[in-house]
Parts: sequence; structure tokens; C-alpha cells
Amino acid sequence: MIEIHLYGNLRALVSGSNASEDTVLKLEFVENETFAQFTGRLGLTPADLGDCFINGNLAKADYVLADGDRIGLFPFNMVLLCGGQHLKGHGYTRDDVDVDYY
Amino acid sequence: MSKILRIDMSDLSHKWEAVPKEYEILAGRAFTSAVVNKEVEPMSHPLRENNMFVISPGLLAGTPAPSSGRLSVGAKSPLTGGIKEANAGGLTADRLARIGIRGIIIDGAPSRGSKDWYSIVVRKDNCEIVKTNNYADKGLYELIGKIWKDYPVKPGIIGCGIAGQRLMKCAGVFGNNPENTDPGRYAGRGGLGAVLGSKRIVAIISDSTGGEIPTPKDKERFDRGRKALREALDKHPVTGKLTSDDGKPFGGLKNYGTNILQNILNEAGGLPSMGFSSGRFDGAAKISGEAVHELVDKTKKKFGDAAEASYAHACHPGCVMRCSNAVPYEKTGKLHVSPLEYESAWALGTNLGIGVLHDVAELNRLCNDLGLDTIEAGNTLAMLMEGGLIKYGDGPGAIKALKEAYSTDSALGRLVCSGTQTAGEALGVTRIPVVKGQALPAYDPRPIRGIGVTYATTTMGADHTAGYTIAAEILGIKGTVTDPRALNKAELSRAFQATTAYIDATGYCLFIAFCILDDDDGFKGMTDSVNGFLGKDIDVTEYGMAILKNERAFNKNAGFTEKDDRLPEFFRTEPLPPHNVTFDVTDAELDAVFKGM
Ligand code: SF4
Repeated sequence: MIEIHLYGNLRALVSGSNASEDTVLKLEFVENETFAQFTGRLGLTPADLGDCFINGNLAKADYVLADGDRIGLFPFNMVLLCGGQHLKGHGYTRDDVDVDYY
Repeated sequence: MSKILRIDMSDLSHKWEAVPKEYEILAGRAFTSAVVNKEVEPMSHPLRENNMFVISPGLLAGTPAPSSGRLSVGAKSPLTGGIKEANAGGLTADRLARIGIRGIIIDGAPSRGSKDWYSIVVRKDNCEIVKTNNYADKGLYELIGKIWKDYPVKPGIIGCGIAGQRLMKCAGVFGNNPENTDPGRYAGRGGLGAVLGSKRIVAIISDSTGGEIPTPKDKERFDRGRKALREALDKHPVTGKLTSDDGKPFGGLKNYGTNILQNILNEAGGLPSMGFSSGRFDGAAKISGEAVHELVDKTKKKFGDAAEASYAHACHPGCVMRCSNAVPYEKTGKLHVSPLEYESAWALGTNLGIGVLHDVAELNRLCNDLGLDTIEAGNTLAMLMEGGLIKYGDGPGAIKALKEAYSTDSALGRLVCSGTQTAGEALGVTRIPVVKGQALPAYDPRPIRGIGVTYATTTMGADHTAGYTIAAEILGIKGTVTDPRALNKAELSRAFQATTAYIDATGYCLFIAFCILDDDDGFKGMTDSVNGFLGKDIDVTEYGMAILKNERAFNKNAGFTEKDDRLPEFFRTEPLPPHNVTFDVTDAELDAVFKGM
């Protein structure tokens, strides 16, 4: 089982959700699934996403999920306020960037 | 055409001076730090006559450059004993810039035993020091209303509240918001409100009647720059427009304010909760920026135009990012507090285990009314909880304790305003989250080590805005060394601190950094607007480093050594759940940040 915490406009994936409570979705665990494949399963493209977290670590596209992982999904307009999306190296930026640290 | 106004409170005199050559390109933080370093005796007592209080609008304040109306205040800090610059929005920077004032330097103090209170009224080519005993000992919501009645020209107001008037170390410098409905535009940190109080000044009132928009030396370049920056800000998902072309929520700051971070840091496990004992808080969602957004929408639906509720609110005229908000009472739709920012919601909510939006808004309103820095006051309340006087999570208990601060003879009221370190020590607490006497803000340095480096090494005492390395550093979570820049933390922190100092001098809100670090055209827009305004090219890092040098020189002369660039021991020994990590950056790495400077 994967536990997904949804934020911002992604809360709409759970009907009747509201912003002052945790919006949690539980999905089947799929063997050998990467984070990118998993978000695809939810119908989300990289451009839909901002900074996301797996067990509190910044999620990267090629991370292979483990059973029981907690995922925090934030939409494109919710990121750590700090600038330099490309510095984070997770690939979830809306623009092409010249500097890639990875 | 710009001038410096010098005020001597020991004989209530003032004089005007031309800006000397050495300060020609200095404004905002660059100006306040240069003056404090040059003119304040480093070993002076911060709350006696030898300290100075310096005010300077940012370089581009009053111009049409986007989000450029920040005001810096500086002094020797009663909280840290070192140099301090704090900045805020509000109206004052705009008003002062339009009447050609680069800086106000306030020296001296009325003779000991003097019971009178004063306010300073600044107009075009005119300054008055007025006796205003009727402004003292008042809640600041009432005070700003009264001042706008007494001076019906919509003046900018900054000053100190009850806490500052009693020389308390949690006292911030308040500022009125553009609508004059809330004194919540705080240059909060470092206890600078108490410095004003020590000079017996309640308010500094600035009237821009007859003033004019400052003119850039190279108008074409300035305009090109500001437009490019504006464009970059508008299209960035963090700083951008409220809704996209298809009507969906777009810009993160406009929709959720800085408190967008509440949920994000919670997911990241770096949200310090209950006195820095956990990195997650189960009440986070309830006091988050998203919850405020929802409450505002609900209130508007219920009360229509009568609702005093908003997001995408501007803290000063001309802000295009508009991260501020106005939080209503749910029952009446009237204004409760404006703004409720991330740091405040964290300090007065998360950090105290209080997950009730109303209680957090009430605590913030009380801070605004009393003249308290929310971050320092929240951490001080946490010490009361840590010391067993109040229970974690007890919102009404915290509200009651803070209300004691109005009373003239309540020891608890004084304690609550006395600062985190003082209160913690008084109550036998050994987990006191301060650096150089100033309380930590809302990012735990154990999982987010880069910010820990900044907390430790900045001259300001623990301050997140001094070098916002969070983006670049959060990857350090769990100590993965896949990050090549991890090898270079020192350089990174130094570069961020220098860039930050530059932005603080320009008058631009630091939040433009969220965009310009992603967008090269935006970055160039920023530098073009600054260079166009000055009519000459200045180097961002060099200019920023010069500011840091002044600040470090002052602290060195005030007796600070590298031993002061350290986090409290418990961050090294107590692992923080859920990541269960400690702050493990070595002393040598910390010292490398400013080595040879
Ligand atoms: S972004 Fe926010 S803090 Fe910055 S100037 Fe605008 S309203 Fe003020």
C-alpha cells in the first residue's frame, strides 16, 4: 500500500476533500514502479508537479517505490520557497534550464 | 537630491545633510549597516544613549520597479548584542523615498528619568519632534488609527509598541499596512523596537505630500530592467499571477502566501514542532496557507463585500507578488489579523503545538498590538511550555499568558516579552533554540543543514532570510552525498548571504529570489533596473560582500568570535524525527564560510 498526501489543486483527486484537513489517498503498491510511473498512474504529468516528497525526501523521477512509502504530492505552484528549481535536481521544473547539477 | 536626516534625541534637535560620497550608492541594508558599523560604538549598551537607530528605504523604493518598497532599519541589537538589520514593507519606504530621504539617523536619548514620549514627523524638507505622551502605552491597532486621524495625509508609520516602550527584547518595529487596518508590517527581529523605546520614540510618521517619484539616471535601462523583472515574476509559478488564463489557481504566493510552506516543510519532515522536538506536526494543515485560502473564500461567500478577508494582498504599494493576506474572524467576517505569515503561523502555532487557526491568528494579533516580533515571542512562549508553565497545544493558555504583557506590573507579562534565551534560562530550560541570542525560525537545521549553516554564521543571529539556501540544501536530507554542491556548503552559504544582502539594499523584496534564480531574464531585469537607476554598473556579489564585511567588522569589534557561530548543543545531540538526524556540520566547515574575510 502507498499512502499519498495531496495538496493544493491535487486534493481534487479525492472528492469532498478540504484544505484544512489532511487529504490522504491509499493506492495499491506495484512492484518495481518508479515515482514517474506512479504519478503517471494518477494521470499526472511532470508539468503538473512541484516539489514532491517520498518519506520526507525530495522525490526524483527514477526513485523505485517501496511498499509502505508515504508520498507527498504538491502541484506545480507549490514548491519550497527558495528559488532555483533546477538546483534541486528532481527534474520537476516547468522550464528548460541550462545548469543541470545531476 | 537625496538627503540624510540626523536627529539627536538628547536635545531634540535635528539637521539635514547631503549624502556623503562614501554612501552615494548605499541604501537599505547597505546604508544602515555602513552607518552602524562606522558610527555606533560597538561596546555601547544597545538600550542606552550611545546606540543609534538608522532607517533607510531601499534604493528603488518609491519607483515603479516591482515589489521594491522595502524599508530597512538598523542598530546594535539588544537581543544579540551585535549588528542588526531588519526590513519590512508598509508605507514608510515609499513616503521617505518620495521626499528624497536616503536615511534617518537617530542618536542620543532624553535624559535619564525623562518621562515624556515623542514622535517624529517627517515631511518634505521639514522635520518636527513632537511630544506625544498620548501615543504611549496604547495598543497599536488603536494607535495607527489615531495617527491617521491626527495626520490625515495617509502617512507611513513605524514605531514601537508597549513591548518596545518597556525595553523588552522581543520588541519589533511595527509598520502600518497600506490600508492602515493593521500594524502588522514588522521589521521584527533583533529587538529593535526596544531601541526606539530607549530613545523615547513611539512613532515615526512620514508624509510624502509635495514629493515626487525618484528619477533614474538611465531611465531607458531602468525601465527595460523593471519590465523584464515584472514579466519574469508574473509568469513564474511561485511569484506569478493569481490565476492562469483558464482561471485556475496559479501563483503560489498569491494563493497561499508564505504559509504555503507549512504543508511543504511538514511533508519534508523539516517543520520544527513543539519546541524543535519533531519535524512533523499533525495540526499543520489546519493552520496552513491553504486553510487560510479556504477560510477567505468561505468568508467572502458568506459576507460578500463586507468581508475583511483576502489573499494576494500587497504589503506595500507596488508589490506585484502580493504574498500577504488578511485573515478574518470566521463568525463576523471582520479582520482578525493581517498578515498571517509562515514564520508567524509556525512560531505561534506549530512550534507551540497549537493547530487551531483562530488561536494562532489571535496570538498574532496580540503580537501586532503589543509590538512584538512573532518569531521571538512564539519561541519565548515555547520556553514557557518547555518550562512547564503552559502545556504544549494549549492555545487559550498561550493567549492568556501573552495578554499579561499589557499589564504594567505582571512579572509573567515581562517574561513573555523578554526573549527566548532570557525566558528559557529563567525557567531552567536546557533546549533553548537560539544563535547569538536570537531564536531560530521555521526550518529545522537538522534535516536542512544548509539553513543551519546560515543560522550559525550570519551576523544577525539565527535568521532564515540571511541566506536562503533551502532549495540547494534540502537534498542533504538523510545525508545522501550525491549532491556535488554538498562539498561546497561554505561557498554556497556565503554566496547566498551576499546576494541576499544586495537584494536587501535595493529595496526589492527578497522573494524575487524565488523567481530570478530560475529565470536569467528576471535576474538581468533586476540588475538592469538597479544599474539603470544608479547610472553605473555594480557587481551583485561584490556589493553584497561589502555589506557583510561591515556587519562582520561591527560584530568582531563588539566581541564576537567564531565560537558565536554555533548552533545550540541539542541540535547536535537530539535526533529529529521522522528523519532522526542531527546537525552534523563540523565547526571547521562553519568557520570556512567567512574564512579570510
Ligand atoms: S512579496 Fe509579500 S513580503 Fe514581499 S513585498 Fe510583496 S507582499 Fe510584501
